[in-house]
Parts: sequence; structure tokens; C-alpha cells
Amino acid sequence: MAYNQDVLGKGGKRVVLLGNEAIVRGALEAGMGFSACYPGTPSSEVGLTFAGIAKKAGFYFEWSTNEKVALEACAGASFCGVKSLTALKHFGLNVASDSVFPVAYVGVKGGLVINVADDPYGHSSGQSEEDTRRFARVGNIPMLEPSDTQECKDFTKIAFEMSERYEVPVFLRTTTMVAHSTGSVKLGRIRKPRTRGRFVKDFERYYCIRPILQKMHERVLRNLERIEKEYNKLNRVEGRGKTGILTTGVSYQYARELGLKGVKLGKLGMSHPLSRRFVSGFIRGLKTLIVLEELEPIIEDFARGLAKDVNPKLRIYGKDILPRIGEYSTELIRERIAPILKIRRPDFREQDARLKRIKLPARKAVMCPGCPHRSTFYAVKKVLGENVVWAGDIGCYLLGIFEPFRMQDFVLSMGASLGVTHGIRKVSNQKAVVFIGDSTFFHAGMPGLANMRYNDPKVLVVVMDNGITAMTGHQPHPGTGYTGMGERANPIMIEDVVKSFGIKNVRVVNSFSQRELQKAVKELDSKPGISVLISRGMCRLLMKKMLKRKGRRFPVFRIVQGRGLEVLDKFACPAIRKKGGKYYINPEACWGCSVCSQIVPPGAIKPGVKGDAK
Amino acid sequence: MTFNVLLTGVGGEGVLFTSVLVARAANLEGYEVRGTQLHGLAQRGGQIPTHVRFGRQTFSPTIPRGEADLILGLEPVEAARSCYFANRKRTGFIVDTYPIVSVYSRMLREKYPSLDRVRGMIAPFAKKAVFVDASNICSGKLGDPIYGNSMAIGVAISQGLLPLKEKSIVQAIKQTAGKYAAKDLQAFRMGLEYSV
Repeated sequence: MAYNQDVLGKGGKRVVLLGNEAIVRGALEAGMGFSACYPGTPSSEVGLTFAGIAKKAGFYFEWSTNEKVALEACAGASFCGVKSLTALKHFGLNVASDSVFPVAYVGVKGGLVINVADDPYGHSSGQSEEDTRRFARVGNIPMLEPSDTQECKDFTKIAFEMSERYEVPVFLRTTTMVAHSTGSVKLGRIRKPRTRGRFVKDFERYYCIRPILQKMHERVLRNLERIEKEYNKLNRVEGRGKTGILTTGVSYQYARELGLKGVKLGKLGMSHPLSRRFVSGFIRGLKTLIVLEELEPIIEDFARGLAKDVNPKLRIYGKDILPRIGEYSTELIRERIAPILKIRRPDFREQDARLKRIKLPARKAVMCPGCPHRSTFYAVKKVLGENVVWAGDIGCYLLGIFEPFRMQDFVLSMGASLGVTHGIRKVSNQKAVVFIGDSTFFHAGMPGLANMRYNDPKVLVVVMDNGITAMTGHQPHPGTGYTGMGERANPIMIEDVVKSFGIKNVRVVNSFSQRELQKAVKELDSKPGISVLISRGMCRLLMKKMLKRKGRRFPVFRIVQGRGLEVLDKFACPAIRKKGGKYYINPEACWGCSVCSQIVPPGAIKPGVKGDAK
Repeated sequence: MTFNVLLTGVGGEGVLFTSVLVARAANLEGYEVRGTQLHGLAQRGGQIPTHVRFGRQTFSPTIPRGEADLILGLEPVEAARSCYFANRKRTGFIVDTYPIVSVYSRMLREKYPSLDRVRGMIAPFAKKAVFVDASNICSGKLGDPIYGNSMAIGVAISQGLLPLKEKSIVQAIKQTAGKYAAKDLQAFRMGLEYSV
């Protein structure tokens, strides 16, 4: 697996790393021996990099079936004294949370770091603009917050140290602009990982029942008090003045970018617990305080609470001038704080007028040429028509939300297609089809399917099985046939799972055969109760990569007869172009799936001659 | 002073690869580097502006509005889309003229702007704009349009629009391109020798 070689660079060297790669490096420098993850962008590259280097660096890595299982595996390793780390996105933490909270109570042995990546603005997420700093408070779990790549590395190491010293799991929170920022990083020395340990039975320690429960709770709170004092060193002050800016994460970098003079800048490296001592000291003697934090007003509320005693006359600005929605930027912050600090704003009026005149066609992400999902969507719609409730889920197939398919009527969370459709069908007679991917099926689809089968509404479930977790960068799952470290494994066939639930109407078809697909949809549509169609076809992007490694290319299709091709508009393959009413296939873009040749009049599209293939 | 490079194009053109070359070369020259790599849907035809900033000391990972020194556009419409970051006192443009029409433009029958119109859009935002048919040239000479990105870096350096040394780029290509390094180096040299 490809990875950035610099992650394994020699101590003392300065290299450019992605924030997520710097977290991996920090884990290596801390001597981490175990990691389990489920991919979720913006955190995916942490696991991808672990997967690439695990064998070489000598630690264990796996892609687990979901974030909860991954976190639990890390907790198990930690109980045996092995340092472990899981990386997930904000919604992944929601999935894992049921086990995160009790782990905080029972405590850890080997350091346990939970890297959570938030995604304000939703660069790679479509569920909510969640601020996981709230999670740290709900669970009484400490949280560190790096603001650049160097700190991603350094704070990971500190998180491990804190975790072992206080026997607590520690959150390392990034946002997209930190996790996916690049930067120069001075490397430290890699420590040889300890990968073996032993579980020691300890009833008093591992069972969260009263009265031990209250003792545990007390210990958790006491630890937070200590951590607040000891790790105040992660907070610092730069500059001086009567106006203060208190900030954290990437907002700190935006503030520095402004090059403000005569302003006292407070940078918080620890988001939970916030240091009362630090913030009280910072606001004492100030006239004005501006709090810069994306999403929720957590630092702001904290500062307001302290100011009542420390500095009641302090004027505090926060979410009254800056949004609680989306991301911040240097420009946004300058715009909003300029009237308070009396700083100059660049005049962009002329520029705005010019930009308005630039009209450009929108460019949205599309399913790749040759994508098996396109073929499946096309066939299902062709047979069942438009008047169907299309249940969507998380994966590349959510791109089916766009024209001309429009076949994702709602998308909530991993696996939710099944549960929501179940509810809809119990109160409505509308025809409903569920689309769920293979990785999502293993992640959270099975409970929903079991519930559906048991309570038996009539639903067609289409499992879009491309063999891999595609959207986040091709991570294997239990159906793939190899593990996170690239070892062969015995795959679990989705049809075996489905049949074991007692579902009788199950068909497995080739995604690249319209005839098979359409026949199966027709047949299953006529059955009562729940039926499952497994549309199986390898992710074309993955296949392209595999062929490239072997120096091979896909065959290219070409149009040999121009009549009756309008149907191609409903197929929307990016390789098929239309100029002056005529269709043609761009040979650079065709990935040879052949499906277009199956939907046009026979003989209109044919494979190119062998040898002229790309 | 921080030097700000914005790289843009369409998924699959190698924008990320190109940004890694610039970042590594700058790091080799001792600059502090910062930038962004947002790639949620990059490989699936989305647009992906990538920022690389280098200097003695740098702060924000993103380039503030109007402060790009170089916009390297691997696709003309995407180059025009990044004018937000440009400024005619400061910004140089290197634009690969090879257009990639999006599937939605075709379906919605939107007109894809001609190269002349793109030139017109960019002109008021550019100190200097160089249009080069890099992808097509590389497709002809090296057998794959993908090398257009390394050629574009060569053009940027020879046009004085990217203050990095030839040898640092060469070293960055060797570190980054693996078995394709020979062809990327060839493309880079073609860019250095390209006359406008």
C-alpha cells in the first residue's frame, strides 16, 4: 500500500507531512503497538498510513467493521498494557460512544488515544456540523487540540503520556483544516513498539456497577482536576495588550495570519478540561476579549463564567460577531473583528464586481466511468420506474442523489437506509427500495436487516457490493478477502449472512450485466416480503489501480452507429460526450465496463480493437 | 514574506501530486511549508484547489483572498474559478489549456466557456498569465497527458513565477514519483525549455 515515506523519516529531519500523517508519526514516537480503525474522512489517512507501514514498523493494524468495534479492540489491547490508537470522524465517535464512556470509567493501562476529526463546513460529511468538544464534556474525557501539523505529531505523543499517567482515554481532536493541512514537521525518534501484553483480572476495576461506579466517577473527576493543572503547559500567551484574543485549533493560525499589533493572544492546546487558572489569568486586566473558536461557544461560555468574578467589566465578543455555523477563515475573522480592533480591511469591491462577471459551469463529483453503481441504479429505475421511495445510505452510491438518477431520497447515517425504510413501510404502502453498500452493510446494516426480516415489510434491499470501502480510499472489510495489514483472510459472503437471517428471496448478480440485473429486479419485485438483490461488481477505480500496477489498461468502447443513443443521457457516464447532437466516447476516459453497449440498440457501441485500448 | 501557490484542476489530473512536489521542494530549500489537501471526492471528478505556502514563517494553511502569488491551473475553467485568490498586482497564472467538460455541464446543456473567454476572465486578476497546452504536448511526446502537471511546474520556473530551484524540484520528483520519475523529469525539463 502506498504511503508517504517521510512518515518513517529519521529523527531530527524536517519533512512535510499531512496532519493525519503527523498523528501517525506521533504514535510511532510514542511506541504505539496496536491500532484499529474504521475509515471516515477527514480522519481516513491516519488508518491508511498505519495500514501502509504496520508491517515495516512492527505494530498491529486492522480495519475493523465499525468504529465501535475498533475502539473496543483498542481498549482490549490497552487493558493488556499495549499502547493503542483509533482514528475516526465525528460521526464515527457517535457510533463508538457507547463504549467510549465506560472506558473512561474503568480506565486504561496502555495509553489509549482516540483521534477524532470534526468537519465544520462538511467538506467530506453530510450529516451535521457536530462539535465533538461537547463529547469530551459529556464523557469527562480530556481532549487535546493541535493547530498545525507539528502539533499533530507532538500532541499525539503528549496524549499517550497523559493517558498512561492518569489511566484515562484521551481525545486528540482535529478539524478538516488541521487533519488535511500540510506542513513542515521536525521529526523525533521512533520508539520500538510494544505489541504483546496480558490481561490481568480485576473485578473492582472492570465492572461499572454501584457502589464501585461512584468511586470510578469520583476518580474520573479527580483526574480531570489534576490534568487541568499539570497540562496547563499546553496553553500559552503571545504578545500583550488590553485587548485579548483567546483561541484554539486552526483559528489560532488565522489570528496569527492577521499580524495584529498590541493584542494579547491566548492559545489553548487543551480543549477539555479548560484551565480556569490560565483563562482567569489571561482575562485579568483586559478591557476587551474576543474568542475565536469554530462551531460551539465553549471557550466563550467558560470565559464569561470566569469573568463574573475576575473581571466583571470585561467586554466579551464571540458568537455575537462570529458564526456558529461553518468554518472560519482569515478573511472572515478580519472582517468581523476589524471594527473592534480598528484595523484596516482590504477593499475588495472592485474584485467582487469582477468575480460576479465570471460565470462558470458547476462541477460536482460524479460516479467514475465504469462504476458498478451507475449500472445498478440504471437497471433498478428502468424496471421499477420513478414512483418509488429510494432509501439512501453512506458510500459512493450517495452520488446517485444527482441527476439523472435522483435515487437517494434521504441519507441519514451508516445503515439508516434499512431502519428508516422499515418505518416508512409500516405506515405507508409506497413501494420502497433500499440501497446499501457492502462496507456499510457490515458496519451497521445487519441489525436493521434482521429487524426488517423479523417484522417483515415488503421491501427490496439492493446491496451494492463493490468489494471494498471505496469512498474513503479502498479499505478492506470482512467481505473483501484481505486484512488491514494485507494478509489473506476468509471473506464473509453477504448472501450467506442474508440467507442465515431466513430471507428466502436472495439473488446475486453481476453489476455489469444489465440483462441479469433487470431480470432479477423484476423477479424480486413480484415477491411478497423482504427480498435482497446483491449487485456484485468490483470498484472500477480500484480495478484501474490494479491494472495500472500490472501495466495493463481497460478496453475502450466506441460508437459505431449513431441512432437511438438518447438513452445515454439517462446513464450519465462521464466518458460519453455529446457535441453538436452527436455522441462520442472519450477513449481517455472510458474504463471499459461495456454497460453503455448493453443499453443502446444492439451493435451501436462496440469494444475497440485490441491494442488501441487505453 | 510568504509565497503562496494555489494548485487547481479536476480530480485525476494530479493536483495533489503536483502540490506535494512544490511543498517538498520548498522544504528542501529550508522554508517552512504549510498548505491544505482536501480530497474528499477528489478522485471522482470533483474540483480540488490545493494550497501550498512557503516562507521563513507561515501561519494559516489556506491562502487569504487575493494573496496567491502563483495559480497553477491544470484545467482552464478551474483556473478561472480560483480568481478569488488572485490579484493583478501579485498573481501569476500558469494554465494548462486542456479542458475537461463535466458530465453535468453536458446534461444541463450548459455552455462550456471557450479558452478565449477563460483568458478574458483571468486577465483582470493576473500580473501575468501563461497558457500552455501541457497535457496535449505530454500526451504526444510522453504517451500520457498526466505528465502535464510536471511540465507546468517547469514552465512556472522558467517564466520566473515560482521562486524555487530547478534542482530542488528534480529532487522532489525523484522522491515522489517512484517509477514514473523519469517521465516526470522529462516533462519538467520540457517545461523549463518551453518558450511562450
